[in-house]
Amino acid sequence: MDLNYVIAMLLFVLGLYCLLLKRNLIKLIIGLTVLTDGIHLFLISLGYRSGGTAAIVSGEMFSDLPGFAARAVDPIPQALVLTSIVINICILALALSLAVYAYRHYGTLDPSKLRRLKE
Amino acid sequence: MAGMTVIVRTIARLLFPFTLLFGIYIVLHGHLTPGGGFPGGVIIAASVVMLLLAYGIKRAETKVSFLQAEVLESIGGLAIVVLGLLGLLLGVAFLQNEFPLGGLGQLFSAGNLPLLYLGVGIKVAAGIILIFYAMLFAFRGEEK
Amino acid sequence: MIPHAPILAILLPLFAAFLTPVVGILSRRRDIKRAREWFAIAAVLVELLVVASMLPTVWGGQVLVYKLGGWQPPWGINLAIDGLNLLVALIVAGIGALVMIYSFVYMERDTGLDQYYTLYLLILAGMMGVALTGDIFNLYVFFEIMCISSYALVAFRRKWQSIEASIKYMIVSSLGTSFILLGIALLYGLAGSLNIADLAQKLGQVSPSAVIVPLALFVTGFGIKIAMVPLHMWMPDAYQAAPSAVAALFSGATATVGIYAMVRVVYILFGAFAIGTMLATLGLLTMVLGALMALAQRDLKRLLAYSGISQIGYILLGIGLGTVLGIQGGLFHLFNNAIYKTMLFMIAGAIVYRVGTSDMDQLGGLWKNMPVTGTLFAVGALAISGVPPFNGFASKWTIYVAGIEAGQPVFTIIALITSALTLAYFLKALNSIFLGQRPKHLSDVKETPLPMLFPIMLLAVLCVVFGVLPQLGIDLVRPAQEAVMNSSGYISEVLRGV
Repeated sequence: MDLNYVIAMLLFVLGLYCLLLKRNLIKLIIGLTVLTDGIHLFLISLGYRSGGTAAIVSGEMFSDLPGFAARAVDPIPQALVLTSIVINICILALALSLAVYAYRHYGTLDPSKLRRLKE
Repeated sequence: MAGMTVIVRTIARLLFPFTLLFGIYIVLHGHLTPGGGFPGGVIIAASVVMLLLAYGIKRAETKVSFLQAEVLESIGGLAIVVLGLLGLLLGVAFLQNEFPLGGLGQLFSAGNLPLLYLGVGIKVAAGIILIFYAMLFAFRGEEK
Repeated sequence: MIPHAPILAILLPLFAAFLTPVVGILSRRRDIKRAREWFAIAAVLVELLVVASMLPTVWGGQVLVYKLGGWQPPWGINLAIDGLNLLVALIVAGIGALVMIYSFVYMERDTGLDQYYTLYLLILAGMMGVALTGDIFNLYVFFEIMCISSYALVAFRRKWQSIEASIKYMIVSSLGTSFILLGIALLYGLAGSLNIADLAQKLGQVSPSAVIVPLALFVTGFGIKIAMVPLHMWMPDAYQAAPSAVAALFSGATATVGIYAMVRVVYILFGAFAIGTMLATLGLLTMVLGALMALAQRDLKRLLAYSGISQIGYILLGIGLGTVLGIQGGLFHLFNNAIYKTMLFMIAGAIVYRVGTSDMDQLGGLWKNMPVTGTLFAVGALAISGVPPFNGFASKWTIYVAGIEAGQPVFTIIALITSALTLAYFLKALNSIFLGQRPKHLSDVKETPLPMLFPIMLLAVLCVVFGVLPQLGIDLVRPAQEAVMNSSGYISEVLRGV
């Protein structure tokens, strides 16, 4: 479905815009998250097969495995996206901890003001 | 960090066992239904964090302390590596599936997949609780 | 070869990283001093042994293929080790061990050391994973493990400067790795496989215009990590703010792994020897810009960071030339860069440990207090500037000859001028720190402690050895160079029997 790809790239561009032009640390982090979500949407849409079923085998499908494999959507991009989401949780946690630390001790969340304050 | 109002605390206390059970269900059925270690671990952590937010950090620390979360996380990670190394001990490749495979659709099947997911679930749950504790310590002014 | 050595090389630091918090807690309960430091040093030494045990097999010409879980490639993840992988793994394991011995004393005044050793072992596991794997998504996952641990290590001292540098580094580098993920997604859509050897085979049948976007995304993503101009903005701040041991590890091992990933993807996966000229030009730009910025620095660690950017430019120049001599020179320079850059950062750390600052305006006349450190700094400065008889001269000479041989004498001339500039700013640094008038408050600075001095001396000895016997260095990198130019051999070895 082409609409998926268009929206994925739209999310990517929106995230990039946030990352480059916003002046608040939390907004930068949100921009990064939106950017990676766009890539995840792109990756999942790659595995779509029109008219396909979910890639989970239940009892009655066991008798016709090749037919099932021809009809199911591709499960590999789903596994890739799951791993990538977990990696992004780690980056998000680290970035938010640093932002909390910066705000608590230096009172500002503006990255341009964070430049050499104590120098 | 102080707790919240009576309504929030009551609902959190009522929802906690159901959310915990749901998370454990998703972790255990990882080889049969969508989900598995990662989302299941996050739901288990969410149930504990819900209590943490509702009751304040002092009471939450009596239930799951920082030390316990650290040790649990290490145990989860070590469980995954040790399960993989079992394959090495038996002389075949790392992470090879040598456990009994069982029938299709049963709970005790698919070799070492449920055990791996259990390790992943424990690690993810402990890890996210640890992240919350670490961030809250920054609010309290301590450095951990 | 130790059985299952490839997977053990990745698992050992990972296992040790998971055990370190437990060891730390136990050592505090039972009051055993420094248990986790000894544990970490034991782990990295065993790691070095495991990597070294793979040397005879791979240098005999065989490609070690290890299938995880017993699944055949291309359906399963496999580790594939040829000459190029092994060179990088050797560099990473060696530098990791030496910097660990160095941080035994250097980090003892810091708090939160549990987390430091865990992060150190995690970043080592990540680097080993990138160096040894044969699957592109596995490479991305280990690359991310390496990057996330490095963000945390840069912010380790929790001072103002470290937090700002880490935030800047994190945002730029996350953007880079998300580009890599998009490149992997596009490749999967084009070819339907994630195995490097399989992709290399299948991409041969796809039209060239379809692979331009993934190639550009990969070059940008890895270029951000190795601080190729114009993507180098994060590097000086990050290297200045990180503890010196961490900066030594980054410049020696992380940059090496980044260059390895770029070579593996561009040359073997895409087979794109044609963009070598663009890489060489970017390398030239990086080299010149790094040297020019380094001339203006007043802080030792920032100077070393810009000088590191300049050396990466040399490596890219050599590899981008694409000829046998060029790739040999580039890889030999990669090896030498790891040796002397790590050594120079460790010396900077020793100065900070004893004096408390790395600002060259406040230092001076330290030769009387730290004669051994001063001599070693002189050795490192001469090696990095390409003065005979040190190893920098051997690898730079190879790159100069390669430039003339490939019909691009302009590259050689610019490289020669940059070497002269390198010598200039290093002599200026040597003069500022060790010679000249000694300020009053530095009169009772002591010599560097022995455990910190030992790795530096070892690296200095290696500098001399590879300078006096350059043929040894060329023989060391020849398996790697043959692996780069022989991608069809790699593909057939990995996919054999499928």
